[in-house]
Amino acid sequence: MKLEFDLSNISVTEFGVGRDEDKGQSFVAILVDGQVQGALREMATTTWEAMEADSDNPTKYDPSEKHSGTEYLYLPLGEELAASVRELHQAANLPLEAQALSDPTAVFCYFARMTDNKKRRLTALRRASQFKGLLKSRLIRLVSDALRLVDDRVFKIDNDFDLLIDSKNIHILRPSGFEFAGKLQEAIRAAVPQNMKAIQRDLTYVDFENIEAYARAHSRAARYLASIRSQKETKDIDKAALKKLCKNTGVDVGERDGKLRIPDEQIMGFLEVLDRRRYELELVKGSPERFKAASRSKIDAAGEAK
Amino acid sequence: MANRRHSEGLKAARLLMVLSSISPLFILWGIRGNSLIPDRYFLTFCALMVVLPNIFLWMRVKTARKLQEKREIVVGAAEDHRDHLLVYLFAMLLPLYAIDFRAWRDVATALVALGFIVFLFWHLNLHYMNVLFAALGFRVFTVYPPKDNNQLTGKGSYALITRRVNISSGERLIAYRLSDTVYMETAA
Repeated sequence: MKLEFDLSNISVTEFGVGRDEDKGQSFVAILVDGQVQGALREMATTTWEAMEADSDNPTKYDPSEKHSGTEYLYLPLGEELAASVRELHQAANLPLEAQALSDPTAVFCYFARMTDNKKRRLTALRRASQFKGLLKSRLIRLVSDALRLVDDRVFKIDNDFDLLIDSKNIHILRPSGFEFAGKLQEAIRAAVPQNMKAIQRDLTYVDFENIEAYARAHSRAARYLASIRSQKETKDIDKAALKKLCKNTGVDVGERDGKLRIPDEQIMGFLEVLDRRRYELELVKGSPERFKAASRSKIDAAGEAK
Repeated sequence: MANRRHSEGLKAARLLMVLSSISPLFILWGIRGNSLIPDRYFLTFCALMVVLPNIFLWMRVKTARKLQEKREIVVGAAEDHRDHLLVYLFAMLLPLYAIDFRAWRDVATALVALGFIVFLFWHLNLHYMNVLFAALGFRVFTVYPPKDNNQLTGKGSYALITRRVNISSGERLIAYRLSDTVYMETAA
């Protein structure tokens, strides 16, 4: 995948932090000198190199997948789940706040916004674990031949960013960092009603009433709903085939007035069926095996992962 | 986004930029002279009030360039405010120039009046009004932020010192920061 930005021709580098405040989150810019700007550019380059080394063809971020700590994924910037991060990327003239670091415990992320010589913008973001970490630890330095505590307040930046955002995609190196900074947990739970409505339109023969209440309270169920909706493959699901797969994979569903009713304890299993995570194999005739996939990717006719 | 009370930075720098903007008054006072204070003191004072703030202004521009204090400014709307210089001329230069220092009370009155003006220029962020900029071929635009329904987009306006003749809406400019509200574009 290509980065819509020229990392070797950067004309402006700005730095900023995201802060948790009483009235919500805020993002402000802080002026930094040329050396810090250089370090931020280096971080962005290192991040892109790590992404390129991980995969040429990254998979799309899926909220229901269990991703590894470092894994190159992407998410189109126009997607609903990208809303929070997109807002930061597209914001113009972020307010300057020189005092933004006066209370480092409030800082939850830091970011760099860069502009290349074609006036394209790149936003790079990192969860601020180091900023907070330094408050708890004490730094020492060598002065003459003795170690001394560093009295000044010191902020340490990392070697790379968690994600890069260009005009088309969010390039994710650390999915957990993206989920944290993009407030994915909250966004996924907030999106439950819309996701529910969209799925319900396709599966009119399923009673979703208790599923919605369950998903509002359980984030994994909410993630499954977001994933099922984003796959856009619920439209022509056959009722009989769905019932059969549920039965074969150990999900007990009932039926009343022509509608499938899912008991609360079976909801996760049912959502896993819809999210193509429960399946049955019968390689040995007469001995069917049931599986639940923690991770899955669709393959095409040639056997290539899509 | 949380609403915060924005604290304008670079207070001392803005004060010196205001002093730089009123430096033509000291040139006029120096040329005119007075019967109360001996020339060697008065001229030295006037010369210092002309030279020091302008050296600072020059150093501020140089420092901003050296530290790469550049920002991208997205233009929502821009207004050319050359007329501000006229207001500045009539509101400040001409009335104060006319003061005749015949007694120490006149000096005190002039200095207090000047203090009020300096405070207002400093407080209202009018430190971009500088005849020197006009003499060097710069114009001053007030740049308003775009109305893009993005909660994070800055809501404040900036004074942009530039050699451009006009600035279109939607343009993205790269300018050096002289203060939180004043930017200078050195290459258009």
